[in-house]
Amino acid sequence: MSFDFAFALKIVPRVLEGIGNTLVVAILSFMGASALGFLWEIARRSNRHVRPVMQFVVDAIRSTPVLAQLYFLFYVLPYYGVVLPALVVGVFGLSFYYSGYLSEVFKAGIDLVPRGQGEAAQSLGLSRIHTVIFVIAPQMLRNVAAPLGAYSVSILKATPYLAVLAVPEMLGSAFDVASETYRYAEPMFVAGILFLCLALIAVTLVNWLERYLGVTTPPH
Amino acid sequence: MTSNPTDEQAGMGSIQTVRGGTAVSIENVSKWYGNFQVLRDVNLHVATGERIVVCGPSGSGKSTLIRCVNQLEKHQRGRIVVNGTELRPGTKGLPAIRREVGMVFQQFNLFPHLNVIDNCTLALVRARKLARNAAEAVAMENLTRVRIPEQAKKFPAQLSGGQQQRVAIARALCMKPKIMLFDEPTSALDPEMIKEVLDVMTRLADEGMTMICVTHEMGFAREVADRVIFMDGGEIVEQANPAEFFSNPVQVRTRQFLSQLLH
Ligand SMILES: Nc1ncnc2c1ncn2[C@@H]1O[C@H](COP(=O)(O)OP(=O)(O)O)[C@@H](O)[C@H]1O
Ligand SMILES: [Mg+2]
Repeated sequence: MSFDFAFALKIVPRVLEGIGNTLVVAILSFMGASALGFLWEIARRSNRHVRPVMQFVVDAIRSTPVLAQLYFLFYVLPYYGVVLPALVVGVFGLSFYYSGYLSEVFKAGIDLVPRGQGEAAQSLGLSRIHTVIFVIAPQMLRNVAAPLGAYSVSILKATPYLAVLAVPEMLGSAFDVASETYRYAEPMFVAGILFLCLALIAVTLVNWLERYLGVTTPPH
Repeated sequence: MTSNPTDEQAGMGSIQTVRGGTAVSIENVSKWYGNFQVLRDVNLHVATGERIVVCGPSGSGKSTLIRCVNQLEKHQRGRIVVNGTELRPGTKGLPAIRREVGMVFQQFNLFPHLNVIDNCTLALVRARKLARNAAEAVAMENLTRVRIPEQAKKFPAQLSGGQQQRVAIARALCMKPKIMLFDEPTSALDPEMIKEVLDVMTRLADEGMTMICVTHEMGFAREVADRVIFMDGGEIVEQANPAEFFSNPVQVRTRQFLSQLLH
């Protein structure tokens, strides 16, 4: 069975049916993972008693397979009366899993902001929360733009895991075509190309963001 | 000019009657970093309107001492009272106390992502809750005071070191502090820029600002200080009015330090 380009082109619309969910899951999960990851990092810095606890939580999140976390949320939560749509569980699961990684990114990004910045803000009488929002976070963002971009692509590529929750997405659409036609090469190829296109769009957005934030050279 | 006796107690009395009120009281303050004692039983009373210059060798605890005054560093023993409020480990409302105490750093510490006027207005808007218009008016007033109003729209990286430090002073002044702390404000500057910063500080002193300045600019100390404090090894070794301090230092360590500084 040779690779059939005409067939590949023909099935593009079918595979594209899943792109909506792929995008929604990827974007929401990226936002959720960023928010949670930032929260973990702020909690980790808040005081020295919380720090080891948060460090353990973050390490635990990263040391468990994402599939285990997804299955756990999907099959175990209902036992406790929490029944959520699969899409919501999927977004929450990916957000949670990647928050462990992003909190490390934020940690490195904050470490790169000179100590004097927080001290200057505090000496002006800004509260901790205002110091974080108006002084630390904007400077951190320049430092984390590149790794955040890389993780946005990772999260995009992780969306097919939601197949285990029966959430239809792009790779799932490709599988549907494959199982109907008994041809695997073309649907997988098409899905791969489409993921590549999405990743390229994400990379372009990150480059644009970096330029906007004035990142010209990698920070040291 | 005031002339303060070397004797600390007598000095306190005369200053208090002249100036009315104590701005900062540091009593028996000690601090450790692990096993290393960085402050040893320090006593220092600063009257309202008084100008103090703190000098001493590197590592003697000068920065640590003034950073305790706005609690960027916590002391472990003793009492620090600023504008009538004692600073304890759990003191509530530290931000409110800090708003009354301006600090200028050796490395300027301007916010690089904000332009000059936004550097000045950030705390006015967020901490003092001023409307943006009002905050910008205060900022322009203080940028004029440090003679740099025309740079209001520039970013810190576009300014010279001397200009940045003057902006940092203006930013602190915007909060209308009762006390100003300076931690080697000219040490990171090229020589030709030192004067513009010292001029601003001198004018501030003439306006009656209470100031604690860590600096090795002895010309400034002579001209401006009411009292010069010499620190070494985490303790105050000697203090006197500048005339006496420079012409007649009592302690051996002070003499050694001054002779190194002058040669
Ligand atoms: N965070 C810290 N941890 C440990 N030691 C410190 C810390 N900060 C300062 N020190 C030490 O405390 C001493 C006094 O420091 P500092 O107050 O900065 O001195 P100065 O301003 O007079 O040069 C120095 O020996 C310095 O190494
Ligand atoms: Mg110092």
